[in-house]
Amino acid sequence: MNGLRLAFNYLRIGIMNEFQYRANLYIQILQTFIALGTGLIGLNLVFSQTSELGGWNRTELLAVMGVFIMMGGIIRAAIQPNMERLMEEIRQGLLDFALTKPADAQLLISIREFRLWQLVDVITGLVVLGVALSQMNWLIGVWSVLAFFSALVMGAVMIYCFWLIVTSTAFWFVRVHEIANLFEGLYAAGRWPVGIYPTWLRMALTFIIPVAFAVTVPAEALTGRLSLQTWLGALALTITLFIASRALLKFGLKSYSGASA
Amino acid sequence: MPSVISISKLAKHYQVPEREAGLKAAAMGLIKRRYKNVKAVDEISFDIQPGEVVGFLGPNGAGKTTTLKMLSGLLHPTSGSTSVLGYEPAKRSHDFLRQITLVMGNRNQLSWDLPALDSFDLQRAIYSIPRDDFKRTRDEFIELLEVGDLVQKPVRNLSLGERMKMEIIGALLHKPKILFLDEPTLGLDVTMQKRIRTFVAEYNKRYGATVLLTSHYMADVEALCKRVVVIHHGKLLFDGDLSKLVEKFSAFKTVGFTANGSSADWSQYGDVVSVEGGRVTLRVPKEKTSAVTSRLLNELAVDDLTVETAPIEDVIESVFSVGKDIVE
Amino acid sequence: MKRYFDYYTSMMKLSVLEQWQYPVANYFYMIGMIAEPVIYMVVWSAVANQQGGMVGGYTPGTFAAYYIVWTLVRQMNIAFTPYGWEWRIREGRLSTTLLRPIHPLHEDVAFFAGWKVVMIILWIPLAFALSLIFKPELNPTLLEGMVFFVAIWMAYLIRTITLSLLGMVTFWTTRVSALFELYFAAELILSGRLVPLSLMPTWVQELAWFFPFRWAFGYPIEVLVGQMSMNELFIGLGMQLAWILFGGIVVNLIWKVAIRRFSAVGG
Repeated sequence: MNGLRLAFNYLRIGIMNEFQYRANLYIQILQTFIALGTGLIGLNLVFSQTSELGGWNRTELLAVMGVFIMMGGIIRAAIQPNMERLMEEIRQGLLDFALTKPADAQLLISIREFRLWQLVDVITGLVVLGVALSQMNWLIGVWSVLAFFSALVMGAVMIYCFWLIVTSTAFWFVRVHEIANLFEGLYAAGRWPVGIYPTWLRMALTFIIPVAFAVTVPAEALTGRLSLQTWLGALALTITLFIASRALLKFGLKSYSGASA
Repeated sequence: MPSVISISKLAKHYQVPEREAGLKAAAMGLIKRRYKNVKAVDEISFDIQPGEVVGFLGPNGAGKTTTLKMLSGLLHPTSGSTSVLGYEPAKRSHDFLRQITLVMGNRNQLSWDLPALDSFDLQRAIYSIPRDDFKRTRDEFIELLEVGDLVQKPVRNLSLGERMKMEIIGALLHKPKILFLDEPTLGLDVTMQKRIRTFVAEYNKRYGATVLLTSHYMADVEALCKRVVVIHHGKLLFDGDLSKLVEKFSAFKTVGFTANGSSADWSQYGDVVSVEGGRVTLRVPKEKTSAVTSRLLNELAVDDLTVETAPIEDVIESVFSVGKDIVE
Repeated sequence: MKRYFDYYTSMMKLSVLEQWQYPVANYFYMIGMIAEPVIYMVVWSAVANQQGGMVGGYTPGTFAAYYIVWTLVRQMNIAFTPYGWEWRIREGRLSTTLLRPIHPLHEDVAFFAGWKVVMIILWIPLAFALSLIFKPELNPTLLEGMVFFVAIWMAYLIRTITLSLLGMVTFWTTRVSALFELYFAAELILSGRLVPLSLMPTWVQELAWFFPFRWAFGYPIEVLVGQMSMNELFIGLGMQLAWILFGGIVVNLIWKVAIRRFSAVGG
């Protein structure tokens, strides 16, 4: 359990770092509220014209938005900063510092950064989700909750694997900074259930950038839409992506040490 | 001849927030800030004649860059007067800007991804240089700096020194009458420094331009400047011939000898610079040199006695190491 | 005049050459940007279909037209951001430009105008692909086309002016990202970027008249897509011109004060 202790230590340092910049907390709160406000305005505009969208009603879409905000917070708190740091280190040839530490390389590069204030988004997302659920006259069973949390974890892992795969390509193609911009643009698609998109886009959002699994599937679990097949499919994809991304990183690291030697 | 640069009692003061260490102090600082007044430049005066090349010396933070910025119009003086080519720099009139240039060794204005030639053409448009003049000047500079094969390469692929050559060409295409050069050779290797030095000298000779130059490398100053202006803690410390500076401040000589096993409290003979192995180096006031050497020879069995005048770097260093109180 | 023409063409040329070095990066940038209108387009087309084919005067086809034209106007809207101002003051870049005998704002306008040439060339195949997929209904008249062409460049100037004003706040204080974010949120809602303004409540539409946002974004799109009367077309151009003149004067005034401050505290 050496890895866990290491992760905990990095987390502690990350949090202490963030406390140095407390003003950022207020900026984060403001940003979250602005994003929430514009999101709600968009939702209201849509539902001022219609009563349902792609088979989802207003409250259900509010739940989707809650998951979207929450997952966005998790990505920006724990996944994206680590990957951007890795990209930068590869670009500048500074990765040796990380590789010379006695721990699993993948674990190490994945836990070094933590943006505490992004948790504002996670909390806000949870509150939105809570409001949505309380408006649904529907009792949530233990199974839905379990399905929801497992889907959420799998979604986060898939997004992490996606980022790791993209970042690993930085070993070969040095200029991939725009990927972050691209990801943010495409992640925004998760604000709505992927079912409303045309097939080609739905496929892309499911298998290329797993936004569907990160947001829509957990929301489906909560609203009683998730089938066992989808859940199993998510599990299979998570495992596949994890193995693939790990292999790619290893391969990249090997070529990295080859190049710098 | 009327001077082209004339400054009198020029001063620049900054309000700098005071900061104490620690989280609590930092938090308090958000509410109430304390400021202190820093005199970056403190009433300095000098005149420069057309065609002069003047070295502007001083340690980091002495106020050199601040002065150059005031002379080029980037900073407004707190008090005092400046006149450059008859203009008041702070007004930054376009006619004034067309006749000066400021080169900073650590800044770049060329497009990073493109060959320097493309950036040169932009300079032409900025300064509205007639195309024929522009071509002639550009090719002349390219030849002088021997960069004919480099101007087609993207700037990012050039070495630091090659890039600096391009920067200088770009900064001089409009043939300014006044050059403010702030550390133009910073970080360059010796041959590159030399090249740039010769170019500046050549430009000065061909166009009769006036140059005010700061540099950490005394070789630059020795090669280019007859006259130096030294400032320290914002105050003018010296203004005159370089040779006079050495004479004035080189009040010490370096006495070295091999102690031959004898040991003594060396500091009674002079300031101990180093004691390495048996070799002792002392810094001795000029007028006491002969007394000290004879004492050393008489009182102790020292060998290999040498007496040297300090090199110019050390002179400058000793000038800069003086405390603020001496400058006041 | 000739001098400025020469400067603008030289600067634009430089900018085109520079941006052409990074077609892939520019493409990623653009695709990330295009995801946004595609999402809006899909959502609103779905709403229109659910409501029997039309909502707020828009059909799926005209929504497609609106949001595809949106992508072009968005490219035209790219200007130096307030964060860029913060950067260039911090890095001392501003000093370099201040020493040139030309107003630094000309540099911004010319540089981004040149960039747009590259972006428009890269945009054409993307617009073509989007049109094949989403089948926009777009039948502009020649007049509308001409007004549109003028309007997008005026829109660019308006946005440059407003962003510069915002950027100049950094001369006084550096903790301004909160202000920027509020500005961008207001712009999103009042410009027609989120949805065509005709889908907004009436009071929002009226409010939008008094802000520059709509004239820098929604108006040019509506020129090409919406069925505007001749009057509306030219009133819009007039409003754009008014904003440019008014904004230009304000920018100049603030610039003078800002530079005085900049020259007092350090360059």
